[in-house]
Amino acid sequence: MKKRGIGIGCTFYGTGYGNGFPDISTAFVEIHDDGSVLILTGAVDCGQGSTTVLTQIAAEELGIPTDMVTITCADTGCTPDSGTTAATRQTYTTGNAIRLACQKAKKTLLEWAAKELGTNTIEGLVIAEGKIMVKGHPQKSITFKEACAKARFAGNRLIGEASFTTHATQVNMEDGQGAPYWPYAFGTQIAEVEVDTETGKVEVLRIVAAQDVGKAINPQSVEGQIEGGVAQGLGWSLLEEVKLSSGNITNPAFSSYLIPTVLDMPEIETYIIESHEPTGPYGAKGVGEPAMLSAAPAILNAIHDAIGVRINDLPATPEKILEALQEKK
Amino acid sequence: MTIGKSLPRYEGLGKVTGQAKFPADYYMPGMLYGKTLRTPLASAKILRLDTSKAESLRGVAKVVTAQDIPGENGHGVIFPDAPILVEDRVRSINDAIALVAAESEEIAEEALSLIKVEYEELPAVYDPREAMKEDSPLVWDKGNILYHLPIRKGDVEKGFREADVIVENKYSTQMVDHAFLQPEAALSYIDETGNLVLRVATQYVHWDRTEIARALNININQVRVVCATVGGAFGGREDMTLQLHCSLLTWLTKRPVKMVYSREESFKAHSKRHPIYMKYKTGCTKEGKLIALEAEFIGDAGAYSSWSPNILRKSAVHATGPYYVPNVKVDAYAVHTNNPFTGAMRGFGAAQPPIAYEAQMDLLAKELGLHPFTIRWRNAFEEGSETATGQILETSVGLKETLLATAKAYGWDVEKLY
Amino acid sequence: MIGTKSFEAIVNGEQVKLNIPQNLRLIDVLRNYLGLTGTKEGCGEGECGACTVLVDGEPYNSCLLFALQVQNKNILTIEGLASYNNLHPLQESFLEHGAVQCGYCTPGMLLVAKALLDKNPNPTREEIKVAISGNLCRCTGYSKIVDAISAVAEKGVKR
Repeated sequence: MKKRGIGIGCTFYGTGYGNGFPDISTAFVEIHDDGSVLILTGAVDCGQGSTTVLTQIAAEELGIPTDMVTITCADTGCTPDSGTTAATRQTYTTGNAIRLACQKAKKTLLEWAAKELGTNTIEGLVIAEGKIMVKGHPQKSITFKEACAKARFAGNRLIGEASFTTHATQVNMEDGQGAPYWPYAFGTQIAEVEVDTETGKVEVLRIVAAQDVGKAINPQSVEGQIEGGVAQGLGWSLLEEVKLSSGNITNPAFSSYLIPTVLDMPEIETYIIESHEPTGPYGAKGVGEPAMLSAAPAILNAIHDAIGVRINDLPATPEKILEALQEKK
Repeated sequence: MTIGKSLPRYEGLGKVTGQAKFPADYYMPGMLYGKTLRTPLASAKILRLDTSKAESLRGVAKVVTAQDIPGENGHGVIFPDAPILVEDRVRSINDAIALVAAESEEIAEEALSLIKVEYEELPAVYDPREAMKEDSPLVWDKGNILYHLPIRKGDVEKGFREADVIVENKYSTQMVDHAFLQPEAALSYIDETGNLVLRVATQYVHWDRTEIARALNININQVRVVCATVGGAFGGREDMTLQLHCSLLTWLTKRPVKMVYSREESFKAHSKRHPIYMKYKTGCTKEGKLIALEAEFIGDAGAYSSWSPNILRKSAVHATGPYYVPNVKVDAYAVHTNNPFTGAMRGFGAAQPPIAYEAQMDLLAKELGLHPFTIRWRNAFEEGSETATGQILETSVGLKETLLATAKAYGWDVEKLY
Repeated sequence: MIGTKSFEAIVNGEQVKLNIPQNLRLIDVLRNYLGLTGTKEGCGEGECGACTVLVDGEPYNSCLLFALQVQNKNILTIEGLASYNNLHPLQESFLEHGAVQCGYCTPGMLLVAKALLDKNPNPTREEIKVAISGNLCRCTGYSKIVDAISAVAEKGVKR
């Protein structure tokens, strides 16, 4: 008999290295004669999309389109240390470093432009539509490109360097008290499953996933992280297990260590919640790891809802489900 | 202007055209192929290591053992306790024993088969709960318990006395592999200035550089690590796998060396997600408000430390789930065994506790006749909430919004469920 | 020693003639002899699909074929799907829909999708899933890959 059930999983995740560990990213920026930009940062893109997001942050801060931004990442021969691509930290920590570095380069440019445009403070200028304009009097402007060339010819160097440290405090080793991580990310996922009580097989029919990411710099990328996180959570709860015999891995192959294929995956509905983190770049905090947390408990709770037995020992294989059903009888 | 826009991947063009260079896609004229000999035993002493036959095989450029390492023979993200090549004591299966660089992969493979190792097998322990006992075989002489973090908040005994419902259960999670699709690979060479260059897929080029300099006993500025396109990582590329081996072979032969792992070797070489044994006792009032929580985590660190202390700390800090609990007692342990070492994997110790705490929430709700949404809503963190470690969540606590969004998508009548 | 043999095939529209060891896999010829490194090895046992190429229009795991098994056949690798200035609609769609993360499965996914659409220009979502079910992806959860292929099918673009 096939029985359906629905389950929910709520989770949270402290991002960053945490516990007072030096959690620092550094970025360099250089604006060229034609207004195009080079960013240097040590941040590795493992495929999750940090390079794209960091480019967007630089473009936004400088008021230019992203196709004017080139970024070189993760070469110790030319990029500064930006920490590990881990702990859901690159958008937040390196994003902040790039934002600060761009502000420094921009300040030099605007100081030159303020003189050129006869403004008494750079606060009176705005960069938009390829121009540096006087606020409230946009008729007075200079193209961004011309400003960069002239400012550099006048002897300025439009460069910026900045480091950003994510704050975290060590916990007390006696009672664990402290503020070990910042910021925290939150998520809820609800799963609907169908359990075949004859075979013990679980089919996940639907997952709805909502993640609080502070601000989605690139919503499609955020969705991709959530969908990929659901897949890993599903694999973890139902399929995956490194099997050991006296410390030896007996299934070191994709034929015996099963990860989800497209046919194991349900349709996933994602909801991006933007709570705005004031310390994050444009309100952003990370999404990578938090996105994989909620699917597994949601699926396990859905199995319980469907057939009235709990699998408390992962993964919830058909064998374990049949055994649990047998015990229940 | 660009924030909030779904711009396509910066590096996407190379990836859809096959032009993106992953580490195995680099070749150099005159490069050697590097291979690793790994031990088949989990706990042993090396009595004799004979590489002479392998060295005399035609086409073998170099055979490297622990004695050939110019610098420190140890690596690790916190403690450098993992051997680059085992000198005498094997602590887990697949520990690297020797390296070969040869003119072809086939010759390198053949050379590995010619290396003779004599072992004395030693007692081993494979379950962290066993490894905590006084009479357990020792993985390390200093003891098997690598880390213990207690969290104490309020008075749990009092909390449980005041609870209307208490549920108590055991949970366990399994060992898991990152299974990133691109197996480890690297190419190293000496550049025109005499410095070492390594192209590799990693999560942190600057850390790899530090580890390499320490192993080769050279200055950090003599090493350049360039990240190739990374075919997924998920935490599995934080610890050294072939970075040090490839660099050693190049440094000792002064020739380009390429190493590429098979899927099998990839499984054997990199870290795993911690299996964690969890005990949970959770109490709440009849209104469904959590009042006390007691949890124990015993995590299998395997033979080497990697990030284990940080991971079990993370388990402890996240033990309550995203809920306010006034009285909390948590003990988290990272324990060495002779299993493959465990380390970072997406979720990093915060992934295992939800298997337990979310089950407990459903069980409490069932006892009280509450909807699963209701018990979560009534305890959910919001701005100003205090965590188990006494941290006040001052900003950006979007948990309730995520609860509402998902519940509404399922058509739950949330107005009636608060 | 294993002897060498002459190998001839059309690879990405060009005639190729090589002397190769008889036991060489197709993936090794493509990567190590022809420099076509867009074909990826993920498992070496036909489980992951990263090494997929098209042989006379049909998708095959190039890690499971000896090169001599495709003697005189027409082989398409990812490098032959487009040039930099002229992307295949599937490639554009993968970029537009965010179907690419780490990119290691991407060449295989694209080629399997091309084979599908060449035969069945308007597949259902289920047919797309079945077609790519031999190709593993660890990053995306597959949603956006299916979306990207569907979008091309809906447009009815065929080349």
